[in-house]
Amino acid sequence: MSKARKIKLWGIINVIGYALLLTACILFTKNFLATGSVAVALWGWLYVDSLSVFFLLTTSVVCFAASIYSIGYIDAEVEAGKISPRKAIVYFQLFNLFSLTMLIVPLLNNLAFVWIAIEMTTLVSAFLVGFHNVKESIEAAWKYIIICSVGITFALLGIIFFYYTSSQNAGVKSLDWSNMFSGSGMFDPKVVRLALIFILVGYGTKAGLAPMHNWLPDAHSQALSPISGLLSGVLIKISLYAILRFVMLANLSVGYAYSAKLFIFFGLFSIALAGAFILVQKDLKRLLAYSSVENIGLVSLGLGFGPFGGVFAGLLQAFNHAVTKALMFFCAGEAVRTYHTNNMNEMRGMIKLMPFAGTAMFLGFFALVGMPPFSIFISKLSILIAAFHGGYYFIAAFMLIFIALAFAGLLYHMSRMILGDAPKAMKARKESLSAKTAFIFLGVFILGLGLMIPQPFFNLLVNCQQLILGK
Amino acid sequence: MTLAFILSGFLVVTFVLVICKRITALIRAFRIESVFLFLYTLYMGITQRHADLFIVCGLIFALKAVIIPFVLLRITRRINVEEDLGLLVNPQLSMVIALIFAYLSYLFAHKAMSLVNLAESAAFIVSITAVCIGFFIMVSRMKALGQIIGLLVMENGIFLAAGSIAGGMPFFIEIALFFDVFVFVVIVEVFVYKVNRLFTHIDTSKMKSLKG
Repeated sequence: MSKARKIKLWGIINVIGYALLLTACILFTKNFLATGSVAVALWGWLYVDSLSVFFLLTTSVVCFAASIYSIGYIDAEVEAGKISPRKAIVYFQLFNLFSLTMLIVPLLNNLAFVWIAIEMTTLVSAFLVGFHNVKESIEAAWKYIIICSVGITFALLGIIFFYYTSSQNAGVKSLDWSNMFSGSGMFDPKVVRLALIFILVGYGTKAGLAPMHNWLPDAHSQALSPISGLLSGVLIKISLYAILRFVMLANLSVGYAYSAKLFIFFGLFSIALAGAFILVQKDLKRLLAYSSVENIGLVSLGLGFGPFGGVFAGLLQAFNHAVTKALMFFCAGEAVRTYHTNNMNEMRGMIKLMPFAGTAMFLGFFALVGMPPFSIFISKLSILIAAFHGGYYFIAAFMLIFIALAFAGLLYHMSRMILGDAPKAMKARKESLSAKTAFIFLGVFILGLGLMIPQPFFNLLVNCQQLILGK
Repeated sequence: MTLAFILSGFLVVTFVLVICKRITALIRAFRIESVFLFLYTLYMGITQRHADLFIVCGLIFALKAVIIPFVLLRITRRINVEEDLGLLVNPQLSMVIALIFAYLSYLFAHKAMSLVNLAESAAFIVSITAVCIGFFIMVSRMKALGQIIGLLVMENGIFLAAGSIAGGMPFFIEIALFFDVFVFVVIVEVFVYKVNRLFTHIDTSKMKSLKG
């Protein structure tokens, strides 16, 4: 079999695999909601509740989209000679390994194993960030490994504090989440408060919360575009999942109000910082990366307004951002291939050169900044409503200012890039079917969830909210 | 008495880490620190009569005192890097900062965690000092290897913390954590070679192509 056909085959098998996975996830979710119970399997090694299901669903949706987009992307990169055929196959293997490490996190019961799985996501994806083996990408990969490993080392210290109070005060000598949770009422509040800070700083580094976000713009901009979509869409949410698990453990001893304060602090910091950087950005993929920092900040703020419907809004925002940002990174991948640069000043008339991807990016941009009828509008609005409902007027005002700032920055860059006259020497080129399919698939979620939230999904989010708030 | 010897040994070597100017000296100091971690676990194993702890301390010795230092020394040999660690903070000042860390760890153990058991709190203070010093080494040494060793020192500190206040982690988890440390070192080794090949140095303070 020729190399080119072998690569195609890998891509197609991947798509089929992720399609099956997504179907299985959806069926499982349906079944799960019908019985409404918690699933424990493999002698307590796996533990699945609504929160796990939500993150599993998000991950499999974005992984499926990325697997579709990968076919055309890798095909074109191999044709252009940027990736050798042998490396293309390595790409697919790493892609699967990366997805596996992310998919396994929400399923594990033991918090130390969750920690290890998250560290593995870093180590595997570092190869995908440094895939091109050029100075910039290796530098980004190095920063990524070192900063995220340090962060997660602090998280390990937090885990040890939790374990300490669990074994000393509650008598539970186990790191299984389900066991620790049953004893969490007896945790020492003093230790839990400290531990939670370590957890938030530690996993927050991986989640891209400012001021620990330094690695994020580098890694997301240097990774291959399908991987950038996965990093921004899912990886940072998976870290958030780990934080939420500890927040649930802390509920009974220090109360949700304490965690909410931490979430609000990091959330505000993130949107403020990201807003400023979006304005001065020249590099398209870095722009999108900073927008991810902004969005994870919004999710965090949503969680901060938790008791007033904010958890629901925050999680909805997490899902909406995952699909929208994946779409944007895929479009950016197409744009970078057409113009051979990441510099937005050299990109003009995108809609003329690549009508489909250009349109997708245009609509995706409106979705990203939170225009109706797209889904992020609903979740951003819900976060704001939660803020006003909870009486956080000052914070809500700040949030609106920074959202407006990011909106202005994105509008300025995007309108110049997408509209306008294309450089004369360039001609419109054929767009790959796989990219179009991926755009349409993600578009269905972006538009669909903006128009109405399906009842099962709504129920799932409500269940998650109850779990996180401990009601 | 034995415990006091082991813990003070661990602390002294951790202080030695901050005054190392050469990469190989830092690796060797890290090796001695790991040996003290091994002794601590061995002591716990003997006093608590836990068979699991003997396996754990065997792994600590094999991995942290033999394999990892060997891998790190091999990197320095292969890439023929100049010995200088590139200190952003000179040894004298580093030492003062390390002492401040030790005092803060003491306050942390007594005020924040309110530990009362003397042996427990002594080990905990030493471990938190090691975590802080590891972090300090990471941010104040320019060479990539300095950052790796800083992280490993932090991890040593965390292992000591787990042994001191929590009476060690569950057995399987310790094994899994060792595996993780091992994978980390192997992968980082690959990246150090890549950095060296592309940049012809491993000075991270000179890696500045990504900004804003």
